[in-house]
Amino acid sequence: MKRLALFLMIALWLAPAVCAGAETAKIFQEANAGYRTGDYAKAAELYESLIAQEPHVAVFYYDLANTYVRLGKLSRAILNYEKSLRLDPRNGDIRENLRYTRGLLEYRVEDTRNWYLKATEVVLKYATEREVYVVALAVLFVFLAGGILFFLNGRGVFWNPWQRFVFIVLLLAVLVAFGKHVQSNVIRDAIVMQKECEAHYGPSEHDQVAFRMGEGIKVFVMDRREDWSRVLLTNGESGWVKDSDIAEVKV
Amino acid sequence: MKKILCAALIIWGVFAPALQAEEVRVSASLDKRSVQPGEEVRLSIRVTGQSMNLQAPRLSQLDGFETYYTGRASHISVINGVSSSNVEFSYTLIPQRAGRFTLSPVEVQVGQNILRTEPLEIEVSGGQSQMPGAPQASPQRVTTQPSRPSSVPQTIPQDEAFTASPGTDDNIFVQAWVDRKTLYQNEQMLLTYSLYTRYDTRYEGFDKEPETSGFWIEEFPMDRDVPRETVRANGKRYVKADVKKLALFPTAPGNYTIQPGTLKVSIREEPQGSNAFDEFFSDSFFTGGSFFARRQNRLLAPPPIQLVVKPLPENGKPESFQGAVGNFRLSAAVDKEKVKQNEPVTLKMVIEGEGNIETITRPKVPALTGFKTYDADTNSKLFQTENVIGGTKSFEVVFIPKEEGSSFIPPVEFSFFDPRQEKYVTLRTPNFPIQVEHSEQNFQMPQELAGNAIFQKQVKSEGKGIRYIDEKIPEAFPGHAADGVYAILLWGDLLLFVLLLVLWMKDRQDRLFSKDQALRRRKTARATASVNMSRLKKLAHSSKEEDAAAFFVELEKAMIQYITDKWNLSTYGVTRQDLEETLAVHFGADDAHLKDVFELYRLCDESRFGKGSIPQASKKIGLKIFQDTVNRIERMRK
Repeated sequence: MKRLALFLMIALWLAPAVCAGAETAKIFQEANAGYRTGDYAKAAELYESLIAQEPHVAVFYYDLANTYVRLGKLSRAILNYEKSLRLDPRNGDIRENLRYTRGLLEYRVEDTRNWYLKATEVVLKYATEREVYVVALAVLFVFLAGGILFFLNGRGVFWNPWQRFVFIVLLLAVLVAFGKHVQSNVIRDAIVMQKECEAHYGPSEHDQVAFRMGEGIKVFVMDRREDWSRVLLTNGESGWVKDSDIAEVKV
Repeated sequence: MKKILCAALIIWGVFAPALQAEEVRVSASLDKRSVQPGEEVRLSIRVTGQSMNLQAPRLSQLDGFETYYTGRASHISVINGVSSSNVEFSYTLIPQRAGRFTLSPVEVQVGQNILRTEPLEIEVSGGQSQMPGAPQASPQRVTTQPSRPSSVPQTIPQDEAFTASPGTDDNIFVQAWVDRKTLYQNEQMLLTYSLYTRYDTRYEGFDKEPETSGFWIEEFPMDRDVPRETVRANGKRYVKADVKKLALFPTAPGNYTIQPGTLKVSIREEPQGSNAFDEFFSDSFFTGGSFFARRQNRLLAPPPIQLVVKPLPENGKPESFQGAVGNFRLSAAVDKEKVKQNEPVTLKMVIEGEGNIETITRPKVPALTGFKTYDADTNSKLFQTENVIGGTKSFEVVFIPKEEGSSFIPPVEFSFFDPRQEKYVTLRTPNFPIQVEHSEQNFQMPQELAGNAIFQKQVKSEGKGIRYIDEKIPEAFPGHAADGVYAILLWGDLLLFVLLLVLWMKDRQDRLFSKDQALRRRKTARATASVNMSRLKKLAHSSKEEDAAAFFVELEKAMIQYITDKWNLSTYGVTRQDLEETLAVHFGADDAHLKDVFELYRLCDESRFGKGSIPQASKKIGLKIFQDTVNRIERMRK
């Protein structure tokens, strides 16, 4: 009797999720059908609705980005590819399609950053923030467990070679986790959404235009001032653009 | 050691007298007594009987002659214990004008003595002669056909051949010259470095390499003994040697300037002396120079060379032409004429001839239906004959017939441009018939080609596009699992951290207590008292008679243990009086609580020695006194 009650409770608790999952799958299939038949506008609308329901599924962003490529909306496509990469950073298809779509852009920005900055970015982008944290916590777990075993055993040296090795790994893991935190939460990257976007020397229309760029260009938001954002490009140029001209890559 | 000394003495005894036995004689001779102006005469001064430490004699100024020293030769022989030696110094005399001349005696210093040669007569007759200052090319320079090894034209343009750079020593210079100044793209041109010298000279190599951008270069290996010849220029005689030869192939048409670079040579300084080593180490490049003679380095920079490279004519250029220039022959063969389906046939083509063989590419093989075609092997061998670069290059192509029946490998064309005839030449391989028999064997890469990736066809991208959408919703579980793992690890780490902290503090306390027992007792007194208090409370609730007795026994023990722990007194040897004195010291003799403690002792004594049951209230009073005592002392200690 007790078991039956427990089963019913679990069933009642899971029921909304199961129903929602079935509904999501149905919309997803409809969206895919729209993509297959060339009804990209409908597919995009459905993928957008799926993302509104489940904002942490990389596939939805990826498929939406593909749909936007078909519709010729390259900036939206790149934005969604970037979002899907945040959730699924080792997906080769996403990377390949992002590279392809960037090749279709009118503007191209040379990356003149130092090699170690580029290397760090590439390494950190190979894992999600959560994955990096899990690894760091796991290493910390091993380190703490080693310490506890030492005290419980009551023998030996705390700083034995194994513990030192784990400590060094822990330091590295913490460093990587810190870097990932900075990359994900401090450095805010954004995509230019307008066909033509003017970057000014100051946060107003009256300030002189510093440079122009086109849709799909990736920028780093360095500062915010009312409706303006100061952005930095990978070639070292920086300027102020309207907030409405860019969209942050944020999941 | 003694043996060595004996041997040295014997050798000295045998040879020393013999070496010094012969009388020293000096003589001079001319190889001809009658010459024409400008004609070379060799003067030899021979010293016999003494060849050690001789200096080359200096010739006095000879009016009407130009003279220069050309080296020395020496010879020592010991026959039947008698030695003979002679040294011959050679000079070249070039008469400048007609007349009858007498060469005055030449002085030779032999040890402390000065010996003189006899005077020599020479007649320089007039008539048609090679006048001084008239440049004269070497008689060896001839023009021959390029198809043979010695066929490249070698004629030096007369206006350049014998000019030294202004302001430099005109007794030595280098001429860089090319066999042609106008040539076709990819046609061979010979760049030669000729060294002209009137000194005892040694060629040391390039100091600065030539700048030949736009040219494919092949270097000719030079012999150690460079052939030399005597030539005359500007009224002077020079020894000339071609010290370097390069074959250049221009890669594109246009006007070019070749900077020939700088050559390094060393010349022997005027002979100042000679010794025994000079006799044996005569190793000069041109003349009998000495290994130990003082030498002076010179850098020689020939002037730049202007060239015109003509483009290959478009007119008549065959489709099979791929840039080969020269003169070539083509031969071809197949390894078998009868094969089974999917069995390979190898066509080997050999191109042989003169020209830049390295740049020749495989002749285009026509597309064959019914055959799979693979490039198999390419080999080239370079020949560097006297003045021509040539060689052979072979190409192997593997054909694998897919269908049975009679078939053939059609002629393969190879075209080249012949610069001598100034026209394109096309060569063809024969038509090779192939009989293909039926076979059930499926196609597979021939064993000789398998494992070599270059023979496999490349997978090539046909176009660019985006990859297809992902139609599979990812399982919800992995994402949640990651969240779960993250949460477990986070809380687990927190827990472990707290646990580790506690263990660390306990460990620290244990270490401290192990060093100070009094401290340990003092710090743990209250905890022990609390444990005892709990046990006493249980006993107090019991209604059994024996439990009541046990209660007061335990109460007294607990009291004693607490007080002794607090002040580090011996638990076993302490008396009630000791306790009372200790409490009196800390509480004060008139303290009210001290009386309570005495009351507690009284109750304990009554329970043990009194008759009749102990009321429940006494237990509570006892407990309260114990608790108050503990609290009082704890407060006091703080």
